[in-house]
Amino acid sequence: MIKFESVYLKRSGKEIFSGLDFFVQKNEKVLIQGKSGIGKTTLFKILLGFETIDKGRVSLNDLDIVKEHIKDIRHQIFYLSQDIDLKDGRVGVLIDEILEHNLLKKQDKTHFINLLNFLDLSNKLLDQTVKELSGGERQRIGLLICFLLDRPVWLLDEPTSALDDTMKKKIVGYILNQEKTIVLISHDNVWKKNNVVKIERWL
Amino acid sequence: MGAQDLNLLSLMSLLIFLIPVFYINRRLKLTINKTMITSIIRMCVQLGFVGIYLKYLFKFNSPVLNTIYLLIMISIACQSIIRSSNLKVKLFFIPVFFSLLIPFSIILIFFNGVVVRIDNLFEAKYMIPIGGMLLGNCLRSIIICLNSFYSGIQKDEKVYLYSISIFNNRIQALKPYFTQSFLAAITPIIASMATIGLVSLPGMMTGQILGGSMPTVAIKYQIAIMLSIFYTEYFSTMLSILFSLKVGFNDLDVLNKNIFISKA
Repeated sequence: MIKFESVYLKRSGKEIFSGLDFFVQKNEKVLIQGKSGIGKTTLFKILLGFETIDKGRVSLNDLDIVKEHIKDIRHQIFYLSQDIDLKDGRVGVLIDEILEHNLLKKQDKTHFINLLNFLDLSNKLLDQTVKELSGGERQRIGLLICFLLDRPVWLLDEPTSALDDTMKKKIVGYILNQEKTIVLISHDNVWKKNNVVKIERWL
Repeated sequence: MGAQDLNLLSLMSLLIFLIPVFYINRRLKLTINKTMITSIIRMCVQLGFVGIYLKYLFKFNSPVLNTIYLLIMISIACQSIIRSSNLKVKLFFIPVFFSLLIPFSIILIFFNGVVVRIDNLFEAKYMIPIGGMLLGNCLRSIIICLNSFYSGIQKDEKVYLYSISIFNNRIQALKPYFTQSFLAAITPIIASMATIGLVSLPGMMTGQILGGSMPTVAIKYQIAIMLSIFYTEYFSTMLSILFSLKVGFNDLDVLNKNIFISKA
């Protein structure tokens, strides 16, 4: 599904990837670990077309990351960035806007409410602006959007860093149960306590 | 009947007031004396030249020559806009040139042909000064717009890219930046239409009255010119963003980093 074949990338004189090979099968769950600055987030950015590689080949479902395919590719990927860089505005309005542009009607209201409850998010939060949210709330709103959009590939950058332990366990369980292709970056050990996740250690 | 000519010496006498300005600048350690002098000298020299070649332009009154003159004016405006927006002239010249040229020529021809109803659309007496006023005003609004649009996205790149990934729609991701910079650019002209006459008497009207026109005529011209300035600003500012997107962003909708003049 996701293929990185001998990828080279240099940024401001520093080698980030020199001959990286990285493959993820459909519905596989992969956790990437390694110290910061090693290019974990860059991996996600390359897949989304935000960074261009110097040499090698990157593809999603055998589609190269080029102009002709980029819409298709982005349509399949949900990316949760580390800081959940949502634009500012009322949370509820933003979610409506996101769903509308992804041609998803606010399908059934019950699904939406169930997800809110599951993530322990109150309805009142939808009237707040993105800037007013705490780190944990932001992260859960990001996950809410992820679950609502229901795209087939999830790239999650530290998705549980701001959550308390109970919430962490609950969310890890939920995410790993999905029939999705998931690549994770996380320092949380809670992701390792199962036999679903394949761990990649980058040195 | 025209305005009374100014004696060169009496014109220069206005420079007397520079003495207290220099004095105060020095006392307050405002280090602008040098820039001030350069600006004043440039103004005098440039206007002096304009006076000379306008005299000939008006004398020949040739449509071709007038058009060439305006095209040169647009090119200079274009360069100055791009430089002031901290962007590279080489990349932005063509998009900005056309975003000025299109609304400018339509409004100017309409102004001359439909509003003033002169027989010769390219009559120097109308074309050059009106063209200059339209251009001069567009300058400011396009600078504000381009500058705040591109530097806004640069500063906010993470959020912009995140919007791209979530909406998967370039227009939707660009919209907040476009709205913000476009409004910042055209708000001043809208505000100045609201206060004109109350707070300030516009320069063109003053000039016309001094030149011997009836105040009622001058006012009609002023209304026509304000509307024309507004339309030209509105459309050229909007087009400047639209036309420059192709150089501003790469094929994958990411902002090109090489568009900015490096602040080295």
